[in-house]
This record gives sequence, structure tokens and C-alpha cells, in this order.
Amino acid sequence: MKEYLLKNARIVDPLQKTDSTGDLGIADGKIADPGKLSDPEVIDLKGMVVSPGFIDVHVHLRQPGNTNAETVKTGCMAAAAGGFTSIVAMPNTKPAADNAGAIELLRATAAHDGIVRVLPCGCMTNGQKGEEMAPIGSLKSAGVVALSDDGRCIQDHALMRHVVEYAKYFQLPILDHCEDVALAAGGVMHEGKWSVLLGMNGISGASEELMIARNILLSRQIRWKIHMQHVSTKGSVELLREARKRGIMVSGEATPHHLTLTDECVKHFDTNYKMNPPLRSEEDRQSVIDAVVDGTISVIATDHAPHTRTAKLVEFDNAPFGIIGLETAFALCHTELVSSGRMPLIDLIARMTTGPAEVLGIQNYSLAEGNAADIVVLDIDRKYAIDPDKFYSKARNTPFGGREVVGRVAMTFVGGKQVYDGR
Amino acid sequence: MQWNRKDLLELYDLTPEEIELILDTAAEFKKVSQRRVKKVPALRGKTVVNFFVEPSTRTRVSFELAEQRLSADIVNVQASASSLLKGESLLDTIKNIESLQVDLVVMRHSAPGAQAFIARHLNCGVINAGDGAHGHPTQALLDIFTIREKLGRIKDLKVTIVGDILHSRVARSNMWGLLKLGAHVTFAGPSTLVPREFEEVGVRVCHNLDEAVADADVVNMLRIQHERQTLGFFPSTGEYSRFYGLKEETLKKMKKDVLVMHPGPINRDVELASSVADGEHSVILEQVTNGLAVRMAVLYLVAGCVKK
Amino acid sequence: MQKLLMSAAQMPEVIRQIAQEIVDAGFSDGYALVGIHEEGVPLSERIADEIEKITGHRPPLAKLDISMYRDDIGKTKHLPRIRETVIPFDINDRALILVDDVLSSGRTIRAALDAINDYGRPALIRLAVLIDRGNPEYPIRADYVGKKIELPADRCVTVRFEGEGDPGVFDELWLDKHLSDKE
Repeated sequence: MKEYLLKNARIVDPLQKTDSTGDLGIADGKIADPGKLSDPEVIDLKGMVVSPGFIDVHVHLRQPGNTNAETVKTGCMAAAAGGFTSIVAMPNTKPAADNAGAIELLRATAAHDGIVRVLPCGCMTNGQKGEEMAPIGSLKSAGVVALSDDGRCIQDHALMRHVVEYAKYFQLPILDHCEDVALAAGGVMHEGKWSVLLGMNGISGASEELMIARNILLSRQIRWKIHMQHVSTKGSVELLREARKRGIMVSGEATPHHLTLTDECVKHFDTNYKMNPPLRSEEDRQSVIDAVVDGTISVIATDHAPHTRTAKLVEFDNAPFGIIGLETAFALCHTELVSSGRMPLIDLIARMTTGPAEVLGIQNYSLAEGNAADIVVLDIDRKYAIDPDKFYSKARNTPFGGREVVGRVAMTFVGGKQVYDGR
Repeated sequence: MQWNRKDLLELYDLTPEEIELILDTAAEFKKVSQRRVKKVPALRGKTVVNFFVEPSTRTRVSFELAEQRLSADIVNVQASASSLLKGESLLDTIKNIESLQVDLVVMRHSAPGAQAFIARHLNCGVINAGDGAHGHPTQALLDIFTIREKLGRIKDLKVTIVGDILHSRVARSNMWGLLKLGAHVTFAGPSTLVPREFEEVGVRVCHNLDEAVADADVVNMLRIQHERQTLGFFPSTGEYSRFYGLKEETLKKMKKDVLVMHPGPINRDVELASSVADGEHSVILEQVTNGLAVRMAVLYLVAGCVKK
Repeated sequence: MQKLLMSAAQMPEVIRQIAQEIVDAGFSDGYALVGIHEEGVPLSERIADEIEKITGHRPPLAKLDISMYRDDIGKTKHLPRIRETVIPFDINDRALILVDDVLSSGRTIRAALDAINDYGRPALIRLAVLIDRGNPEYPIRADYVGKKIELPADRCVTVRFEGEGDPGVFDELWLDKHLSDKE
């Protein structure tokens, strides 16, 4: 296998708590002593940052069921371009990944088409219907790393309790989309000043907070990991902060769009601002940023949700929820959180590497020698405008086209193989 | 002051001068309807499509008559009769209609922003005839026109709108228009139907009817939908009427020359006592008359900006 | 660049002549003047003043806006603002004298004739103008003319009685007029 010598890079490794300039070697797909390489390709990375590859615990690959919007192949290419070396594929495909066969198919497809590691996630309930428990043991045997009914939330608290208890034995973390359906009924945007002014049905913050509270109580009782997907409100942050302070096994993720946009964006009815949970108020946004900074929210995840242009080119009420995010995540977060001075780079990288690794139970996720060479190289000072026409994703449903950002993914290595070169 | 818009989407977008231009223009069109020949050739040779994706009688009839009095050619498309049911997207349907050399589309739709969405993709003009709970600019303009005609001004007037504000496009469009022209706006009704968030743009929110209308120059009573009761926003229309219906007793405590308005259709003796609806303060039928003039003005101005 | 065609001092005499010609025509009682917005309105008032001086009797006045009768809606950059139409008398069987500042293409008068027709059936209609440019596009001629002027098509005749700027009749480029026209 090809060897690399990455020279003069700023090596940022959150697990080892190091941030210093040096060289890094890659040999046999692993991170190696730079002094013991035989015939490496030497790449001078002066002014660039090298860190462990990003992990996204929340990606929709749309295969099978909606391959006009995305496929395993294009989703993985988008991930590589975004610096992600591992992505967790949500099970809300059509049909849903609620059985071992679906997981095996995904793994086979990913092995053939995927240039990054695709970690399958299985459903908690059959067909994500929230009625009967999915065959969790079989899903584990087929290779899932977590369970989720993403996009839906089990409304029956007793069933949720059983799912968490059962999953605990199989050591599968729960990734939960927290939403009380009755309180969210019919909503298409955040319930607040802008939904009131625009006359649109709102999704209240309470609908998310209620289920976060439920999950905290279940996690405390069962002593098992429940990860709250896309935390979006101040109330959710407060619940999560208190629970983590008390040592309850809960974690939370924030998406780049909830860190950068607010409900006011909806006022021109652009469906690329429609997602669930919805863009919240500025107060909520600031609370979520604070939580990412102080570690209450330990994970940044994209909720990469590809939709075709046709699907989004409709009335706001009728548009599907979600935007793509893999190829813009780092730049947006780096600009919003690090360039602005709110948090150090190493902490942001932690939220995109060690934070998600911990949720999934991945041990020792670092640049230590002998580890798999899943690496991202970042051109940290590069200023540019986001251009969706250059995306590798099949989809273009992003509200960030034209946005000025700082920080670009320059190279991505998965298992020592260079899968992306954006220099 | 010139009109430069090929679309009328929401009063929120307009300047006070643009709103006043519409009102002034409407005053002249009102005279047309009082003549022997109630028709002018302003839109002769133009084609207007009335595209109503939500049922409507009053607004559609008013637009249709306004178009006829401007000598436009008219096509009416009802959602049930259109290809929307065949799974074609709204944009495709409207683009097909536009391909028939249409100059203006007047659209009613249940989704907020539907007109703004299609207007971005069309060369022809688009007039919003109601989009969900978002806006109903011509209704607000006719309300404001009626107030101005009766009271001579809008600035500094106290206008109270009572009812299901949460779900009312009439309330929202009135709010933007009235605030832009310098009126004081109060929203009143049950706390489940009148969100406090309106205070953030300078509206007074009040849940006590007597208090809300005490010093009002104008009271605009909205229709209360029975459907809201079944969704649990209030216990019954009886209780609604008791606390928020405008009755003779309330009227006695109000300003002597107060105007009572209603966008129709009225639930008699629910939000408005029959005697008040037909009483000396009521300008409800004049609103309907003025609606025609306002819609003629809007069609005329917008048509002038559609380049062919 | 503006060029003066008729000074403010010359205007009263020209208007007096128009009034005299109307009086001399000997219309039956009840004839009325109909001023076309914009400058036809103040001109009709001035003509009426002069008629009153000559005969001791002031004919009734109407104001007419022809915007709704234009044939170029959607073809011009901007629609002119609609002005008030006031016809405070029954026009049926009455002699009407349309009054406008400038007769150019004849299209305004065509629109005015259509408009008048929608208000009733006058006994007869005549046309009085301050300036006749003499290049009609329609078969329309004025009966009472203050002054005939021949100008190239790219020039525009502006008549001003009041408002901003000096009163008088000016000859200016279309383009200049358009740029200075803030309405």
C-alpha cells in the first residue's frame, strides 16, 4: 500500500489533547512513525491542519428508495469531500432498514460503492411505526452500530422503555429524534414570533423538550445511552446540561444549520429552510452554540437529508423536511464557532471526532500510531463562497449557496487511502 | 410615486406610499361602478386567470367582476377541476396556464407563501387572493379603504380586530397595512387564538373584549370557524359569543361614531349580533362595494407592470 | 436642454383668443368645458375665466382622466397616476369642448372621446388646445388652437401653468423630460 509523509502540519488530536506542528506517517493503512517509512509520497502541509477524520452520526443515504436524491456512492463522495471518514446511515430508507437483510444489503453496497466507512443504523421499531420492536438482536448480528427511528419518535413511552432496555443488552446506543407528535401537529416551522407573523403552523420547542425529558428519565432508570439527535432549543440544552451533570448516560448533537440560521430565514418561503426540528429563535441558537462550546452537546452531526429539486420546488407546506450538510458542515462550524473566537479549533474537532466516537462506543479514536489512518487535512484559513454546483452529493437542497466561509477540507484519507483531494 | 410591482403578494412588502397609491387609484375606480356604463377598457386584450385552489365565493366573485369591469378576458380554474389532483405540481400547473399567454394570475391557496413561490418562477403578474393564514392583501386594502373613506384618515386611528387572529390572513394583512399607515392596532380574542408574539411588532394584544374596544375608532369582527372548537381552542361557539361576540350592550359603551366591520361571511349572533350587523355603525356592505374598486385598482396597477 | 416656445407673459393673450373663438362659435346655452388631466385642467379654468370676462357667464367645467382608456397599458415603463375625474353635470345632449394643453399624436383625444362616450351622449364635441404640434397619428384635428408649432419627433412640448419651475411652454428632449419626471 502507498505510504504518505504529511510534513509540517499542525496536528490537532483531541483524544491525546495535542495541538502542535509536526509530521505524520501513513503506512499499511495505519498511522505510522514518520521516521520509519520506506518510500512515502511527501506532502508538505505547512499552514494546514491534520486531525482524525470526522464522524457523522446522522446521514441519510436514500438508498434504497430515493436514489434520485442520493445513493450510497454519492453520499460517501460528499462525506469524503466534507472530511468525514465514517458516517452512520439512518434507517429511514424505503423500505426501512428494520431487518437484517436490509443491513446486509447496505453493507454490501457500501463495500462496493462507498469511499468512506458506512456504519449502519437499524430501526427501533418495525417500519419505524412506533408499534412493534424491531429484531434488534438480528440487526446487531447484521452489523448495526446504533438504533434509531429517525424522522419519527416513539410516542408510546412504555415501548420506548422496552426498546432501550433491550438495546442495552446488545450494547447498541439509541439515537432518538425527539418530538412529541401531538404538540408538533401539522407544524412546518418553529413556533414563535415568525410563525405567528407568517401565519404558518408552528412546531413548539416543548414538543422536542418533552421527549428529551422522557429520554433522560428512561436513561437514568435503565442506565443506558440515549443520544438526542439535532438538539435545537434552549430548553433542550438546559435539560441535557443538567442530566449530564448528574452523570446520566445521555448525549446530544447539534447540526450546522441550527448553529447558523434562525426561524426568520423562513420569511421568504424558501423550502431549503424547512427542516425538522425547525430553525429556532436566535435565543435558542445562542443556547445551542453555548452547549457546543461547553460540551453539553458533544457531537456535531449534519442530518444530511438529500431531496431532489422537484421535491423541494413546491409550496412550503408541502415540501419535505431537511437539507444536505456533509459538504458544508466543517466550514460553517469553523466560521461560526472558531473564527468568531467562541471556541478553540481542537474543541470543534472533538465534537466532530471523539464526541461521536464516544456515542458509538468507538475506543481510542485518535492519531496514535497503529490506528487506522482515517485522517482529514484542513486548509483552515481558506476563504471562499459555498458553491453547491461543485457538490459531490446528488442533491442541491442547501440554503448555504453563496455564503462566505473560512476553512476548507483539503484532503481525506480513509484507512490510509486518499479518497478526496480538494487542494 | 410609481407602481413598480408585477405582483401583489402581501402588504408587508409595500411602502406606505404604495398602499396610498392603491387607495387613491381605487377611489377613481369606485366612480366607474357608479356610472351608467360600469366598465372601462383598461385591461382590454389582457387575460386574467382566477386560480382558486381553496374554495371561495365572495373573493372570486369580486375579482371576477373587477376584471370584467376592466374589460379583461377571464378564465376561472378551480382546484377540483384542475390537474392538481392528477399529481402535477402547482408550479407545473401554473406554468401550463401561463403558456396560454396569460397576463395575470389571481390565486387563492391554502399554503402560506404559495403565491410568492410561483411569482418567482413566472413572467406574468401574480395577485394574492389569500394564502392560508398568511395574507389576504386585497381584503385588507378594502378594509383600509373603507376606514379612510368613512373617517378621512388612517393615521392615529385605533383599530381593534376581534376573533381567531391565529388563523386569520385578514388580521395579518390588516395589521401590516394599518401599522404602515400609522394606525394603532389591537388584536382581541381568546388567549388560545391571539398569540402574544404580535406585541413584538407593535400590536396591542388583549383578551378582554370590553377593554379592547373601549376607545376603538374601528372594530373589525372576524368570522369564528366552528372547526377551531373541535380542535380544542375554545369550548363552544356559545361561550365564544358570550365573551367575544359584539352585542348591543357592548356597542353602547363604545365611541359614538365607531365603525363596525366584518370581512364576511357573518355567523349572525355568534361573533356579531344581528342587530349590530344591520345597525347604523355597520359598514359591512360598503366593504363589499369597496372591494370591487380596490381589486380593480390592484389589477390595473399590476397589469401596467406586466411586460409583454 | 429647454427652449422657450411661449412665455408666461404671452399665454393670457393666446388663451383669450381661444375663449373669443369659442364665444364666437355661438354654442347653445349649457355648453361646458372638459379639461383633460394634467395641464388641460388648469387651461380649461383659464379659458372659462376669459369667457366669463367676455360674456359675463362662466361655462360649467369638468375634469377628465383618460388613464383607464389608454391603449398602452403594459407597454410603457410606468403607468401615470390616475387623477380625479369630476363631471358635475349631465353630459347628455350638451355641447362639450374638450380642452388639452398639447395636441400631438391624437391618442389622448381618442381615449377622451371613448371616456366621454361612457358617461353619456353629448350633442357635439369640439377640441381646444393651446399648442398643436401638427403631426397627428390619428385623424383628429383641433377646432380651437392657440399656436401651431412644428417640431421633430424627439422633442417634447411641456406646458406649465403652476407647480415647480417657471410657467410657459417649453420645447425639450423626450429623454430630458423623462429623467426629470419624478412621478
